[in-house]
Amino acid sequence: MEFIKIAISYILGYVRVTVEGYYIERFINICINNKILIWNIKREKQGVKLFLNVGINDFKKLCEISKKTKCKIKISKKRGLPFLLNRYRKRKIFALFLIIVVLLILFSSNYVWNIEIQIEDNQVLDGIEEEIEKAGLTVGKNKNKIDSNSIIQKIRLDRKDISWLGIELKGTNAIVKIVKANEAPQIIDENAYTNIVSNKAGIITKIVAQNGTAKVKVGDTVSAGAVLIEGTMTGKYTDLRYVHSIGEVEAKVWYTAVKKVYYTNQEKEYTNREENKYGIKINNFKINFYKTLSNFEIYDTIETEKKAKIFSNLYLPISLVKTTNKEQINVEKKYSIDEAKNIAIEQAKQELDSKIGDKSSILREIINPKENADNIEVTVTYEVLEKIGTEEKIQF
Amino acid sequence: MAKARRIKNKIEDMLEMPKEVYSDTPKLTVVGFEEMFIENYKSILEYEEFFVRINTHIGILNINGFNLNLEKMTNDDIKITGTIESIDLEKNAD
Repeated sequence: MEFIKIAISYILGYVRVTVEGYYIERFINICINNKILIWNIKREKQGVKLFLNVGINDFKKLCEISKKTKCKIKISKKRGLPFLLNRYRKRKIFALFLIIVVLLILFSSNYVWNIEIQIEDNQVLDGIEEEIEKAGLTVGKNKNKIDSNSIIQKIRLDRKDISWLGIELKGTNAIVKIVKANEAPQIIDENAYTNIVSNKAGIITKIVAQNGTAKVKVGDTVSAGAVLIEGTMTGKYTDLRYVHSIGEVEAKVWYTAVKKVYYTNQEKEYTNREENKYGIKINNFKINFYKTLSNFEIYDTIETEKKAKIFSNLYLPISLVKTTNKEQINVEKKYSIDEAKNIAIEQAKQELDSKIGDKSSILREIINPKENADNIEVTVTYEVLEKIGTEEKIQF
Repeated sequence: MAKARRIKNKIEDMLEMPKEVYSDTPKLTVVGFEEMFIENYKSILEYEEFFVRINTHIGILNINGFNLNLEKMTNDDIKITGTIESIDLEKNAD
């Protein structure tokens, strides 16, 4: 209770008073009996002075008491908001701008200035930003006019790879939480009549037809799209009938990648020199604090944008744009034949590895270098054992 | 007179209220040698930086120490801070 009283008296303003006199105890007692709140009372060391704090409103009463007890009274410090405001009384433009700034913040906090997209497990959804914008959640929109439910429904109707979506408005920040749906595999009805068709070219190494007729033998070369197991059966006593074919087909498949590496290369290399340039962006209007021309001849530009925010979720429509130019120089690099070959092989292998998932199924690696006058061409071929064959409905 | 007091005491025992709430008996709380609270006091008799003399309803309270400040004061309680050396109570002769 006491603390609140003192806090309020700071807002209302208080003064530190020096009281000088012989009957200081009497002075204090009278103050308390008149219910004047005084605090932080301190006596001067080896003296007759007394320091105390008193609120502005009670100060007049204190003066009367000091007259009664014949004490001298003097203000030593003035504290609190009323004195602070009094100091800036003549600065009208300052006050005006203070009000404008406060109003602007209040006004701008009604709008969404940042859209944060959180996808569960850090997965990636292509084009979701545009989708959200199209549905009506845009930067700079009034918060009251955002109808989360209709936006959620719109996005969910348009996109099938979202299983849950939520919009949370926190300050000027709109958080869109998305749970990605696992794509459902295309289910073919078990009773439908299907063929098994190869989806890659290769040499068959194994074919097991559990249901249906095998159309190819081990050792056959098939191209993509060829029928491997036909969904038909002919029995001894029955006529031709259609079935849902089941089977397993394994084949040797080749993947190739060709890479060309020149012996002399123009390569860009970073020097350690870089320059930072700053600018301010207000909504879409950009103010640059620098000349647009760079000091460097060749350079890379990295632009980072930082949104201004007051609290963790109260974004302002102002952002600081930092442009970093990193200087580059052209370097002529010469490779020997072996070096060039190794680089080419590595590049080709990287490309191939990204194509095939399981590395253990690689049977053979064939590397074919071909030396030219100024470059080397390397062909890398992987021989991979793979299951080929996908179900396809029989078209009648 | 004595009978009335006895009845009053009995009621007080029955209610089990803390004494300082319904009577003028002072309550002293001392926190280490740095802080002290006094509830239900009457008035300040003397106040020096090294000595505070406070009148209560049952007697006079003397506090010796250094840098004694009266931090918070209201109608019926005081908070004293500083280095307290000794406290003594003088009973009123009645």
